[in-house]
Amino acid sequence: MNDDRMDELLADGTRDYNEPGAVPREEIWARVQAARASAPRTPIVAAEKHRPAWIWASAAVAAGIILYAGIAIGRRLEQPTAAQHLAKNPATTRRDSSNSSAPSRDTLGAKSPSLVPPTAVAAGAKTTPDDEIVRKLREQTRSTGQRAKELATATVAGRDAQSNNLAYRFVMLQHLAGSEAMITAFRSSARRGEVDREIAAWSRELLSTTRMLESSAASQDPTMRRLLEDLDLVIAQITQYVTRGTNSPDDLDLIDQSISKRSVIAKLHGINPGRNLPAGT
Amino acid sequence: MSENPRVVDRQLVHRCLSGDSLAERALYDAHVERVYRLMHRMAGDADLAADFTQETFIRAFERLEQFRGDASLATWLHTIAVSIALNGLRKVQRIRGRTDSIDDSPGLSVPPAGFTADLKARLHSAVDALSEKLRPVFLMHDVEGYTHDEIAGTLGIPVGTSKARLFDARAKLRLALAAFAGDPIA
Repeated sequence: MNDDRMDELLADGTRDYNEPGAVPREEIWARVQAARASAPRTPIVAAEKHRPAWIWASAAVAAGIILYAGIAIGRRLEQPTAAQHLAKNPATTRRDSSNSSAPSRDTLGAKSPSLVPPTAVAAGAKTTPDDEIVRKLREQTRSTGQRAKELATATVAGRDAQSNNLAYRFVMLQHLAGSEAMITAFRSSARRGEVDREIAAWSRELLSTTRMLESSAASQDPTMRRLLEDLDLVIAQITQYVTRGTNSPDDLDLIDQSISKRSVIAKLHGINPGRNLPAGT
Repeated sequence: MSENPRVVDRQLVHRCLSGDSLAERALYDAHVERVYRLMHRMAGDADLAADFTQETFIRAFERLEQFRGDASLATWLHTIAVSIALNGLRKVQRIRGRTDSIDDSPGLSVPPAGFTADLKARLHSAVDALSEKLRPVFLMHDVEGYTHDEIAGTLGIPVGTSKARLFDARAKLRLALAAFAGDPIA
């Protein structure tokens, strides 16, 4: 018997090997749902009323970075608008610009309400030192995620593509700054076994945005793509860690190793221009 | 314009992670058929196949945050499924091993008994007796029609290894078939 005949026999003989019948689709789905519903949810450590001030100081620094990056890019976006405004209302604009060589912060604030000066955050931190800062950071994260979603669904072509790229860059920088803030806050609090719900939710939001950006035009730049992939891994580990709520030192070490091995923080520092901006810009 | 499947996967995962139950069901519907078929081919038992499939999706939803999109969602799910099936079958074999006699267990050393109607049964026994490395590759490629790329991604092996294992599996089955038919094929 030759090989071809053997192969024919093999094919014929195994075609109905353990042949499945109809897939019990609904039955399996019901069992999956039931199992997931009854699975014990690992509790996330409840937020403590008073956290060490240095945790929130680091978060405040990170918040500042977000705002600096936002203002820097916001100003770049503002420049053409200011030029158009000058053409339309030269007198008004000259009066505005006489107070400052840079575009008016009031104008900037009116167009971008979230871009408040960092001093405002610091003032807010005095009255409500911790929750207020995290709340602001998460709001920023959410708006960044929302903006990324809008950009992903928008159709752009030709001349619009350039402004779209700039918009993506803006979103990317905001996202990177937000990610750094969360990682900083997480590392600080996790070491003390105090990872709270805010950070858990925050990491989930950042993970979603990271993945959205990975699938977007923002990841066309190889450097950005690699950074997003690194962030994806680290934030996924953090999300898993805080969702499990086991506070395992081994898991924490793994996260630290991922951050160190991939030089995530150093890369974020290298890309974030907000770090090089002088105060008040 | 057709969408990139990887992007579609990521969007679906993103929606699932956001708590979208319709997306979870869509993910399940998109993959359950193929996963169940493979589980049934491997387990040879509808109840075990359903158990393995159920466990695959439970674990997948638990670990969805870990899906990075390096491979397709289908490959990622199949990796989980094959791992569950192999572990599950090892347990089943351990349990059966306590009750079955060695004479009852299938093997390649089937004595030639003429080319009769039970050839298929003997061949199936030979497939059962393939090693843990060869059997999934043979079932995925020759029975279920997976490509070597898909098999390599699922089992975490190079494509060349997948091809080599398939070659080995077919050789062993040919040998069993030849022995059964009384044909001196080496």
